[in-house]
Amino acid sequence: MSRDATAGVLERLGAVELGVWQVPLGLLAVAVLLRPVVSHDLMLGYPQVATSFLIWMIIVASFNLLMGYTGLISFGHAMFMGIGTYSVAIALSSFAVPFLVAAPLGILLSAGVAYLVGRLIAHKGEIYFAMLTLAFAKSAHFVANYNPGGLTGGTTGLADGTMPAWIETSRGFTYVALGGFRIDWYWAVAAVFVVGMLLLWQLVRSPFGRTLVAVRENEALARAMGVDVRRYKVWAFTFAAAFAALGGVLLEINNQGATLSELSIVTSGNIIIMAVLGGANYFFGPLAGVFVWMFVEEYLADFHTLVLPLTEVPLARIELAGVLVYWQFFLGLLFVVAVLVSPREGILGLLKTVLGRLSARIRGESE
Amino acid sequence: MSDDADPRSAALGTEGLSKHFGGIVAVDEVDLAVESGELRAIIGPNGAGKTTLFNVVTHALAPTSGSVYLDGEDVTDVPQERRPHLGLARSFQSNELFAELSVLENVRVIAQTAADGTFSFSLLGDGRAVRADEARDILARVGLSEHAETEAKNLSHGDQRRLGIAMAIATEPSVLLLDEPTSGMGPGESRETVELVQSLQDDLGLTVLMIEHDMEIVLSVSDRITVLNRGSVLATGTPDEIQGDDDVQDAYLGGVREEL
Ligand SMILES: Nc1ncnc2c1ncn2[C@@H]1O[C@H](COP(=O)(O)OP(=O)(O)OP(=O)(O)O)[C@@H](O)[C@H]1O
Ligand SMILES: [Mg+2]
Repeated sequence: MSRDATAGVLERLGAVELGVWQVPLGLLAVAVLLRPVVSHDLMLGYPQVATSFLIWMIIVASFNLLMGYTGLISFGHAMFMGIGTYSVAIALSSFAVPFLVAAPLGILLSAGVAYLVGRLIAHKGEIYFAMLTLAFAKSAHFVANYNPGGLTGGTTGLADGTMPAWIETSRGFTYVALGGFRIDWYWAVAAVFVVGMLLLWQLVRSPFGRTLVAVRENEALARAMGVDVRRYKVWAFTFAAAFAALGGVLLEINNQGATLSELSIVTSGNIIIMAVLGGANYFFGPLAGVFVWMFVEEYLADFHTLVLPLTEVPLARIELAGVLVYWQFFLGLLFVVAVLVSPREGILGLLKTVLGRLSARIRGESE
Repeated sequence: MSDDADPRSAALGTEGLSKHFGGIVAVDEVDLAVESGELRAIIGPNGAGKTTLFNVVTHALAPTSGSVYLDGEDVTDVPQERRPHLGLARSFQSNELFAELSVLENVRVIAQTAADGTFSFSLLGDGRAVRADEARDILARVGLSEHAETEAKNLSHGDQRRLGIAMAIATEPSVLLLDEPTSGMGPGESRETVELVQSLQDDLGLTVLMIEHDMEIVLSVSDRITVLNRGSVLATGTPDEIQGDDDVQDAYLGGVREEL
């Protein structure tokens, strides 16, 4: 490849504005490539977690509709995901409602709760809004823990009778069995992922979504120029909850039930960290954030069982495995660095800068 | 000397409009009657309450008391975001922008709002294409075409001032409030900006209220001038009347008469 062509490719890889086809194709590529990449010997070496990756990508992307596109920082986003998870688990275990009925209801319920909460708090200042979302999420966790009417299963959560009949598992793999067909659970999730993310992308690029961005950039100006800022925020909050619940209902099958951790503040915090780590300014930022976070989690948690050449070196053998299992500490550190350097850019922003520099260097431009 | 016209039949009127901040009376019983097509300058020393007057007229701040009329209609209680849709637009003293969006997008999103109303579920299609032509026309009018794709925060100060005017125009106003559109500009650029305001006013049939410190500009372009001092109207009149007013001379204009 000539210098210019290489530079051109690099430039396009780092392009800010993704054209009409780049996002759909990008989403397809993620859905198709994620599992083979993750299960490659040099990566994790096993494919099962790829499904979780996709589900969390939906959830964190739904959060980024708030943080990245509307400028709303919620500390309780897991609540809306958890409402989806618990709705389905309760509907299946206590009421024998079919999954395909329970899932849309769970999503609607989550959106409805978000609409009401949004009406109450969306107009509050940044800090108060954050505190109030935290308070609401905490109370949702409390309710599930309290186990009202024996519905939520308290601390143990719900496991018995929470799986639809058409889900089959064998040798660590999950399948969707419909009629005579049996498709891999991964591909069912991948299909929902692509459709769901395309809907989210359309939301972001629509006139509605562009107004959200204006609100993010300068709320007072938007209001002065005729935008009903409060209503836009309420609906952004509502849509974000619906997409979070979409991830939540998938998680119910994926994790075989509902557990309190789906409603916990820690989960809400992880969602924020993944979005920031990946790059809140980018549609694909949350996807990158989820990938890095979950990959490192899986990889480093297993580190002590891996036999690496490093362990032959006497110096490196000392406690390396013992240190690296504290993966959250290192990712936390990375998170701190990302926020300090540029809070909205994250890994994708860094990549873009590096590619930009590289292409300039190849072209022989001086900086 | 005051506004003779009835505020209730003016393009923009206020009656006994006041704004208190705790003990500070920033706007004090202000009566205005700005006629359709007029260019009204609002002058007064720093802290006189000029910006606060704009803030209560646009309901960015709720007035403590008094009324605001737009084309004869009492809009005192109409929320801020409704007012641009009733034809009342403003620019800001500081450069208020959608900083990380392109110059075009700054104007376009407002043109879209003007067409769609305060809220709209427009969830289909590409937002960036909506009203983009109108936005480009406006940029051409204010001389920002070549910067259409520039991020607003990277514009020069003067261009950011012009963008402020462009955004206000994008709301399709009938009454335009400009808060020191020439602040921070040199004499030549100030003159150009005022000429831009005048040409926009003529072409779009606007009523303009303009806060302005440069007395030379004020005296040469205004139809009428309102002088604010400590929140209240000291005088309102034509440039000649204002120059001849002894109260104004004492309180504010100082030596300007001799200079001119
Ligand atoms: N939000 C506010 N809270 C409290 N006091 C305020 C507020 N806004 C303005 N003031 C006070 O009201 C008075 C009028 O301020 P204002 O900004 O309207 O003056 P101005 O005529 O626009 O001055 P300048 O020429 O400096 O822009 C000042 O004493 C100011 O400190
Ligand atoms: Mg002022």
